[in-house]
Amino acid sequence: MNAAASPRQQALERIRAATRNPAASVEPAGSYASLRRDYIGHGALPAESRIALMLERLREYDAEVTECPPEALPATIAAQLLASGRHAFVAPAGLPQEWLAPQFAWKVDRDLPAAEIEQAEGVVTTCFCAIADSGTIVLHHSASEGRRVLSLLPDWHLCILRASQVVETLPEYFSLCKQPPRLVTWISGPSATADIEMTRIKGVHGPRFLHVILVRDPVADPTSNLQPDQAR
Amino acid sequence: MTHAVADHPVLDPTVAPPFPVAALPVLRNPQLRKNVAHAMDVIQAKRARLVEEKADWQALRSAGAAIRDHVLENLGAYLEQFEERCTAAGGVVHWAADAAGARRIVLEILRAEKAAEVIKIKSMTTAEIQLNPYLEAAGVGVFETDLAEIILQLGREEPSHIVVPALHVNRSQVREIFARSMGIRDLSDNPQALTAAARNYLRRKFLTVPTAISGANFLIAESGGVAVVESEGNGRMCLTLPRTMITVAGIEKVLPRYQDLEVMLQVLARSATGERMNPYTSLWTGVTPGDGPQRFHVILLDNGRSQILGRKTERQTLRCIRCAACMNACPVYRQTGGHAYGSVYPGPIGAILTPQLMQMHHAQSLPYASSLCGACYEVCPVKINIPEVLIELRAQVTDQERRQVRRFFDPMYLGMRMAGLLLSRAWLFHAAQRMGRLGLRFFTGKDGWIHSLPGMGAQWTQTRDLRGMPGETFHEWWTKHKKEAR
Repeated sequence: MNAAASPRQQALERIRAATRNPAASVEPAGSYASLRRDYIGHGALPAESRIALMLERLREYDAEVTECPPEALPATIAAQLLASGRHAFVAPAGLPQEWLAPQFAWKVDRDLPAAEIEQAEGVVTTCFCAIADSGTIVLHHSASEGRRVLSLLPDWHLCILRASQVVETLPEYFSLCKQPPRLVTWISGPSATADIEMTRIKGVHGPRFLHVILVRDPVADPTSNLQPDQAR
Repeated sequence: MTHAVADHPVLDPTVAPPFPVAALPVLRNPQLRKNVAHAMDVIQAKRARLVEEKADWQALRSAGAAIRDHVLENLGAYLEQFEERCTAAGGVVHWAADAAGARRIVLEILRAEKAAEVIKIKSMTTAEIQLNPYLEAAGVGVFETDLAEIILQLGREEPSHIVVPALHVNRSQVREIFARSMGIRDLSDNPQALTAAARNYLRRKFLTVPTAISGANFLIAESGGVAVVESEGNGRMCLTLPRTMITVAGIEKVLPRYQDLEVMLQVLARSATGERMNPYTSLWTGVTPGDGPQRFHVILLDNGRSQILGRKTERQTLRCIRCAACMNACPVYRQTGGHAYGSVYPGPIGAILTPQLMQMHHAQSLPYASSLCGACYEVCPVKINIPEVLIELRAQVTDQERRQVRRFFDPMYLGMRMAGLLLSRAWLFHAAQRMGRLGLRFFTGKDGWIHSLPGMGAQWTQTRDLRGMPGETFHEWWTKHKKEAR
């Protein structure tokens, strides 16, 4: 091994020697495609059960859930904000204006400093999708999902989820991602720990309260237009 | 061998006492054994229930093992791809050959940042390179942010499990540690109150310390992304609020594509904590303007891994995704707890990983810290055949030891040499059988059983009886009867 080589070259040389794969002959993508994946890809639940499963999971996580038809969304948001007993909220810059009920104090995030976000009592965001199997809400941090810090510092997170965004399995979510997203947060219930005597405690650092509004928009049954072998 | 039983567990394999000695403090502490067993029962029961409901669990395990093997087979190419994509996204990639190299790089970055304090996300890799004591000696204030890690750091305790590292500390001890170091006078020992104390203690730190250090659960070669899996939200705080982020990751942590997380995330939380999914998982790619740290460094750590990679049976050790299911299932870990392993990696995975990371120069007692029952293999989400690796490592330890001059009169190796001699010559073997029969007659009771033997033999008869030797061997019987039959 060349003593003058950089740590990088040395590391790669050690790794190559260990795998006996000269750089030229490595074709990861080729053998990657042949890896066996016999696990369940698409779920088999009808739309209604899929959504019911998502709601059940959320409730198991102690998240609060409210349902509403699409046209009632702004009013439902306002009602939930009121019911939360909170007054000062932050919102991502891309959140629809009609969701920001005027009776509350809103700060819209245009590079708000962390200290100001910290002062807010709650935050309202949308999400990229939700995975029923594990009860996971996925944020890709688009303009209406907000920067990562926005859904982290306030103690109360109200997340707007449309029924059409609910998939059943984790692989279904990944098949929705044409490109790997740059930033992702998967949220499966409120912040929690079991570090002291295995006692589960809710709310360590993240928001202690997760509230989901499920918007009952029309849902196509994604399993119906799949090949039978995919839909097992 | 004489080893003083340390008052304080030693988790540095270069100086830790051998496993049987290090296990004594816990074996003599019934309360602690009960605590460990209770924690293991809780996690095991939750895991079993969730694995049961997963119809495709075995297919997920197989796919997990296949993906990890594929990565290891092509590790150089995937690391280069990760480096290229991460750099393109604004990250800085460093390579470290060993622990000392990685620590140096971290300190250089901190010096350049003029960082007097860092906040940390729980990370096995930084524990492996003993980063905290090094940074503290260099004058950097290090603040762990995971609840269990705070308990350990403030209480000057050592971790005993890789997922729930403070499971050996009970609530009244946590109360004492927090009351003392946070200066809270009336703190109850209610876990809810203790957790709230930690939340308040750290909130300021999150908002003011501009530099954070993390490990990585996965590196994504395709995008240059890094994923961290957690429960409390301290990880999200560290990944979002500081100006600078430093991630220390073992070279084996890479996955080919983002999509491969669909396997890993399905098996990891179920195996680790018995949850369908851990509360928070974060993935970030280099730096993103306006969101999170604007300076990002990744240190790719070898520290013995490339050696493991080059060995046929042992390579599978590097599939590990650090879920701790193996220690939760291990009957030995259940009795001894984590400190006996003298390493930050306890349990069955520690028993194979630690001696290999030490390049078989230390921790040679660990491959023997197992009954080879195979429970670890059965629960492993990436199908690491831990017993197979344990046996391979035992062979290596034996090969090392039998060549050592100081072990020439070691009863085991002496006995093995004798056995080798006797078993290779039939006449010697028969002679030995006759001698043995004569000799054992002194110890055989009227009932035909040996109830007590002197010297080394006592180790057997202390706990069980031994059948006396029969009057004749099968060989002798056969020789006699063959003649009769004719």
